[in-house]
Amino acid sequence: MALDFSIILRFQDALLLGLWMTLKLTLICVILGCTFGFLVGLARTSRSLALRAISSVYVEFFRGTPVLIQLFWIFFCLPMILGIELSNLASGVIALTLYMGAITSETFRASLKSVGPEQLDACIALGLPRRNQVTNVILPQAVLRAIPTLLSNCVSLFKESALVSAVGMADLMFVGQNISNNTARPVEVLTIVALIYFVIAFPLTRAVSLIERRILAKLAI
Amino acid sequence: MTAPITPPLVRMQSLHKSYGPAIQVLKGLDIEMQPGERLVVIGPSGGGKSTLLRVMMGLEKIDRGSIMFGGKPYISSDGLDKKTKIDTEVRRSIGMVFQHYTLFPHLNVVENLILAPCKVRKERKSDATERAVGLLTRFGLAGKAKAYPSQLSGGQKQRVAIARALMLDPKLMLFDEVTSALDPELVAEVEQVILQLAAQKMPMMIVTHDMWFAKNIASRVIFCAGGVVVEDGPPEQVLGSPKEERTRDFIDRVFHIRQ
Ligand SMILES: Nc1ncnc2c1ncn2[C@@H]1O[C@H](COP(=O)(O)OP(=O)(O)O)[C@@H](O)[C@H]1O
Ligand SMILES: [Mg+2]
Repeated sequence: MALDFSIILRFQDALLLGLWMTLKLTLICVILGCTFGFLVGLARTSRSLALRAISSVYVEFFRGTPVLIQLFWIFFCLPMILGIELSNLASGVIALTLYMGAITSETFRASLKSVGPEQLDACIALGLPRRNQVTNVILPQAVLRAIPTLLSNCVSLFKESALVSAVGMADLMFVGQNISNNTARPVEVLTIVALIYFVIAFPLTRAVSLIERRILAKLAI
Repeated sequence: MTAPITPPLVRMQSLHKSYGPAIQVLKGLDIEMQPGERLVVIGPSGGGKSTLLRVMMGLEKIDRGSIMFGGKPYISSDGLDKKTKIDTEVRRSIGMVFQHYTLFPHLNVVENLILAPCKVRKERKSDATERAVGLLTRFGLAGKAKAYPSQLSGGQKQRVAIARALMLDPKLMLFDEVTSALDPELVAEVEQVILQLAAQKMPMMIVTHDMWFAKNIASRVIFCAGGVVVEDGPPEQVLGSPKEERTRDFIDRVFHIRQ
């Protein structure tokens, strides 16, 4: 059987819709996940033992279990626990946000730690109030240092988001699977779907190393 | 003995400082410094010179003792409740420059200089910038106002660090081996800036291993070893013909390396 990639053209619209869902989901979860991850990162470096313990358990749990199971959990168990119906999109957003929060919190934690204690010494010697030490010196440096890894985290999220197809969300992966089932041409269809993921992810991964070099050059003292 | 008319600028009494129970670093220092004095602290590596300056800057807690600054209580600890009281208002009148620059890498030179004046004293940005540019010009850095620290040489960074501390009009400057991390050809430009400050009667406490610099900047020299002051006197005495055996050994060693 010869490969025939032209069949894809017939499903252009469906694929675009799926891609749109994937991008939308990724974007929402990038924003929510990074925000949440930042707060969790702060909690993990906080002085309060309780905050550190709770946030550590959360992070280790979500980093140490398969995302697919997390998804099933949120989709099927969370509505039972909460006693409310959750839309597919809402469940997908919650699940991927929690996943993104866990991995980005590690990124933020590492970058917060990478701001050396001598920077704090300098702040104190200049008489900067605690508030300004954090907002004008520590956080800007930590966020700058975090950017390259955060971009990698975003690429991971973009790819991992394909898992929501397993719980029936009509994302790019879901559409691709549907088409491949209906046309019985999994090789062509899934190759094209992979290519679409790649075309979006690849420039981002390249950008990561470029940006990383520039940031490191700037922050090297 | 007659009492001095003005109170000493600094009066350290019985300073004790340890890092954990095993590492006793300062073992009861008593140092007095008069206004206008430039105190050079020399001594073997690990002898507690940096710790002394860091305590003076309010960066380290102490176990016991007290420091008065300009006649006002500044730092004290009675050793009972493990609390070190630091008057942060007094601390603002002290500036410090470190061995490793510690500029803020994400801010350009002018931003480094004006951050504290704008945040601490609520100075207007335009006023602070004007003062900053003035200082930079004085230190031969006029062209570097918009540069980032990573684009500067070590000597330039250290001059920026000095300018940054001066932006707050300190009444005392602390310099901890500020030329030790520099390439030899960059040492002079930094020392010149400090000598310039000395000419303007800025009181300072300087830790250095550079004997030429020590001789030229000091109005008084202290030799610290083992957490105590071993010898204290005018530079001609401590650097030239020390009374104490341990000072002599140290000076001999350092001079041999230098010459
Ligand atoms: N943060 C610290 N924790 C533990 N020990 C320290 C710390 N800082 C300095 N020390 C120790 O205290 C002693 C004095 O150090 P320091 O003040 O840096 O000496 P100097 O500047 O004269 O070389 C050294 O033995 C050093 O290892
Ligand atoms: Mg030292």
